[in-house]
Amino acid sequence: MEKVNLELKVNGETLTVAIFPNRTLLEVLRAEAGLTGAKEGCGEGACGHCTVLLDDQPVRACLTLAVEADGHDITTVEGLAAGETLDPLQEAFIEHGSVQCGFCTPGMLMSAKGLLLEDPQPDEQKIRRALSGNICRCTGYTKIVEAVADAAKK
Amino acid sequence: MADYAYIGKKMPRVDTRAKVTGQARFTADLDLPRMLVGKILRSPHPHARILNIDVSAAERLPGVKAVIIGAETLGRKWGVFRYTLDQQMLTTDKVRYIGEDVAAVAAVDAETALAALDLIQVDYEVLDPVFDPMAAMAPDAPQLHDDFPNNINIHVPIEVGDVEAGFKKSHYVREDTYAAPEDSYFQAEPYAVVAQWDLDGNLEMWMPNAGPHMKSKPLSNLLGIPLNKVRVRKIAIGGAFGGRSEISPADMICALLAKKARRPVKIAFTREENSIATRQGHALTTTIKTGVDQEGRVLARDITCYMDGGAYSSTGPIATSVPFLCMEQAYRMDHVRYNGYRIYTNKPIRGMIRMHGRGFACGVDTQLDLIAEHLGLDPVQIRVVNARQPGEYTNTGSLVASCAMQKTIEKAAEKARWADKWGNLPPFHGIGIGTNSVQTGFPMGIRGGSQAIIKFNEDGGATVISGVVDNGQGNDNMLVQIAAEELGIRPEDIQLVTADTEVTPSDPGSYSQVSTFIGGHAVKLAARDVMKKVLLTASELLNADVGDLVARDRMISVKGDPERAIHIKKAIRMGLVKGRAPSGEGAYWPKVDHKREWVQNPHGQMCGAFSFGTTICEVAVDPETGQVTVLEVTAAQDVGYALNPLVLEGQFEGSVAMGGQGGMLTEEHVWKDGAVLNPTALDYRLPLAADMPPINAIIVESVDPDGPYGAKEAGMSIAMSAAQAYCAAVSNAVGVYFEDYPITPDKIVRAIREKQAKEN
Amino acid sequence: MQLPGFEYLEPRNLDEALDMLGEHGAEGAVLAGGTDLIVRMKQRLQTPRFLLSLKHLNELDYIREDTGCLLIGAATPLARIIDDANVRARLPAFHTAVSAIGARSIQHVRGTLGGNLCQDNRCRFYNQSAFFRSTRQACHKAGGTICYAREGSDRCRSTCQSDGAPALMALGAAVTLRGAGSERTIPVKELYTAVGDAPLSLHSSELLTEISIPLPGPGVGSAYRRLTFRAAIDYPLVSAAAYVRLGDGHIDEARIVVGAIGSGPLFLVTASNGLQGKQSTDEKALSAAAGMAGSSAGAFIVDNLNADMEYRTAMIPVLVSRALRGALAAAGA
Repeated sequence: MEKVNLELKVNGETLTVAIFPNRTLLEVLRAEAGLTGAKEGCGEGACGHCTVLLDDQPVRACLTLAVEADGHDITTVEGLAAGETLDPLQEAFIEHGSVQCGFCTPGMLMSAKGLLLEDPQPDEQKIRRALSGNICRCTGYTKIVEAVADAAKK
Repeated sequence: MADYAYIGKKMPRVDTRAKVTGQARFTADLDLPRMLVGKILRSPHPHARILNIDVSAAERLPGVKAVIIGAETLGRKWGVFRYTLDQQMLTTDKVRYIGEDVAAVAAVDAETALAALDLIQVDYEVLDPVFDPMAAMAPDAPQLHDDFPNNINIHVPIEVGDVEAGFKKSHYVREDTYAAPEDSYFQAEPYAVVAQWDLDGNLEMWMPNAGPHMKSKPLSNLLGIPLNKVRVRKIAIGGAFGGRSEISPADMICALLAKKARRPVKIAFTREENSIATRQGHALTTTIKTGVDQEGRVLARDITCYMDGGAYSSTGPIATSVPFLCMEQAYRMDHVRYNGYRIYTNKPIRGMIRMHGRGFACGVDTQLDLIAEHLGLDPVQIRVVNARQPGEYTNTGSLVASCAMQKTIEKAAEKARWADKWGNLPPFHGIGIGTNSVQTGFPMGIRGGSQAIIKFNEDGGATVISGVVDNGQGNDNMLVQIAAEELGIRPEDIQLVTADTEVTPSDPGSYSQVSTFIGGHAVKLAARDVMKKVLLTASELLNADVGDLVARDRMISVKGDPERAIHIKKAIRMGLVKGRAPSGEGAYWPKVDHKREWVQNPHGQMCGAFSFGTTICEVAVDPETGQVTVLEVTAAQDVGYALNPLVLEGQFEGSVAMGGQGGMLTEEHVWKDGAVLNPTALDYRLPLAADMPPINAIIVESVDPDGPYGAKEAGMSIAMSAAQAYCAAVSNAVGVYFEDYPITPDKIVRAIREKQAKEN
Repeated sequence: MQLPGFEYLEPRNLDEALDMLGEHGAEGAVLAGGTDLIVRMKQRLQTPRFLLSLKHLNELDYIREDTGCLLIGAATPLARIIDDANVRARLPAFHTAVSAIGARSIQHVRGTLGGNLCQDNRCRFYNQSAFFRSTRQACHKAGGTICYAREGSDRCRSTCQSDGAPALMALGAAVTLRGAGSERTIPVKELYTAVGDAPLSLHSSELLTEISIPLPGPGVGSAYRRLTFRAAIDYPLVSAAAYVRLGDGHIDEARIVVGAIGSGPLFLVTASNGLQGKQSTDEKALSAAAGMAGSSAGAFIVDNLNADMEYRTAMIPVLVSRALRGALAAAGA
């Protein structure tokens, strides 16, 4: 196995790394970029805790090889806020009490962001479907769905 | 009602900003200089004797910095109780379940550590396993532990009154058996642990926990070092639900690897490891015999429960008792007998879980519905008839000081329009109700109470020091709310130092739903202690009686004369000059009977308070596929006093998902020869956003005399009663009472077809 | 979870990809969206020496209409197919099937149609971690000689759980398979071998490049139904696709395909043919076809998915019946 050079645009900044091709995007984000917001919850694509945006669309960072993301725009939960100004989704998650343990929150936010980028006015059913690839053990989803609907109004 | 500044208000949690920005650090996010990756070799056999372990090839692999096996430990056994010492954490004699820890490696990266595991040669003598608790009790069954004959780990016998006489007097008696397999905590965060030592032999650790002091004590025992050298640090925790209350073998293993390698070590579990090698919920088989009078009042009950405990004791005596205790708290009975058995099998270890004993609780309520049907009562009526009332004693002698159980039933029934719907729903639609009660605090030995320290800074800000841990339920915010209320400052003025065994005083942890009741209480008392001094100084400055002063929003003023006021920092600063320490202490110890013991003496005051919950669930069943659509859920709980309704609603909603939607419709572990077939997020079916129904959360208050502001447990009563309500609703829709849980579509279709065959 | 090592091949175009496949295909695997392959590699079910990425092959990302067929490039993401107006309006079985795959944030963005069709068969005794498999003897699919799904079975009985396959089979779709210097177009039916441990007839030097679906005229309807215990994520436990062509109130042609039961999608010829000439409102004929489908497909079932086998068997006629009724409704019956 030989290392390959790649250039990712992560949260607007260029990240240049030389890595083995068997590294997932999740490993590179966490270990190379120090962005530990995206979590490994299952490693098999089922739980959604590692969800990030790839060119504004939600993907599983644990199932995406970093080399496959070469040259693409990646947004992680750390890149959601503009400096001190939180994204409306983040504000809504705080206000609505949508966060309990918080381990699923980064992935949930990124799936929600992907949805709102694609459809700024989703109805409740669409929100629920869009978030159904993200498992939350704490909240029962009620307050998460409310927060996404509320953020869409802003 | 008291005029509180923060208590009782919907307040967004103080920890959420860090969590929505990705800044909150969980254990696996930690990265220490020179940190190694630890991996654990696990047993492929459910039952085998370890003859030899050869680690030489693993040690020679470049990049491997430490390999450890059980022989290098002190070999001590740990148990939560003196009479349940049965687990070594790194076994030296036998392995007792598939996934048990056998050896471990620390290496420079994960690939090397995993490669080293493959090089460890373990010679096993494979022994016959036993997986079924009934078979495990048979005379010729394989024995897991030498000190526990017939694999009976725990037997809790309780008998109050004259049960046989009660049955004799009864108008109607019936006996039924109910069962449920293992369920999973499935915390969002897979277990992880980081350990490092300093040159003075101090051990520093991070891991998800339900009480750092519940980790440091066993580590101190097992490693043979003083308690003050074990420093369990605060870290964000991705859920517990009862599954992170105790030491994990990985804790000791990580500490030993770090010591041997003289470098920090991190072990992060895979999802599969979290499912098979932490804890699981018990499988239960419960036989319930109940006698009632003509009005449906329970005169006598006799229950025998067999719990599959897996390979080790864990919290066995507690786990064996709690299903019974929940029932005796919720429902009055004249006479009762209970025999709870926890049996060892060659399966992973079982612990306490938020929806503990669905095969018990749902059985009690299903049978109650059967009895109601026989007597021509509706399920709401029979629950009201038997509902616990305030001021009563449970059968085992606990005073239930505050109780609004009946109100939770009535409020939930009203909101769910029970009276309109019961008996009037279209075919294959159903409605069901469940009620239950949960303890706020168990007897926890020396760690049964909590102590807190608060210090003011000269600018009027304060630091709160408490052992309370936040597993995700919002305990940090609860502490801030209480402190802000009592200190008369704003939440943003408060810094928390919590859940750190080096710094924070002892605390029972979030175990047994006591964080608010005990830990919050201690913070409240510490705040009052420091305010005594601050108000004394203020009274001198304002020339007023201490009793006439109020502190609010950073100002101390004279009641009824708001013009006479000073900034709180002025009182603090003047106090400093006068030699008054701007700090206070508080300690709270719940009013429990210390002679009460789970097995030897299960009588006396059990805990400080009891919560009561009612859930009503309405479903539509597809009679062809057995698929259940949940139309609406209404959850009402007596929480004592609602400190933060926003947090409580979240607890209720999450409880409905875990106890009802998952716990009763989809969640169960499936086995093949002692191995879990569905350890992953793909195959263990947790509810998803699109599965969940609309939920009405109703907060009922009873203002407990001992709870801080009257508060007690919140949420677990809903998890329990939600399981019962889902069960009852599906039974009502199908017209068949289910005895095997969870009620998956295959069971529903079978029940419908059998019923139709019988009717034709 | 760690991925095994491999050499990453990054062809710039289709020709280059086919050349590389010709050279390395036998020891390689094709990486499309990765939602199936990467999991298998993490579990060490597959450890290819070469991984051939399709990421630069934009030429395989298209949906277009040509001579009465909808042509879809194999690397087209599922999300684009779901949003396609033609698919939604004219190929309801296909639309339902693709929409139901996994979850939006898992498969729909990264997952491709080619990947869904070429996903390997599954079995709950095989699709497990290396640790789980270390607790017992290897099964047929793992290179051993025993089967945990059916005792005594002399071959692998793993199940094809693709959603796209039964729908496309019912719709009479074809796939184009290209190698360096070779190209063949075969019906979807022939892509599947029904051999548990070698479920595709695709050669290691070939790449599935295009899916071609005949666009139906008036009087044609299709539907797909699948059974899971949750609203998303899950693979189907049973699925059924139906296609009907009506003429003058009669069923001129019907095709019933059952998925997630056998080692390949099951095209049920007898049940399908039994409907020919029947009135579209003939309840008895529909029930008979569903019943026939149940007994034909039921013969293939083994207890290897995460649900009771008896239940799955009982659900075959239910789903077939629902798919047939859906197809008839779509056909305007």
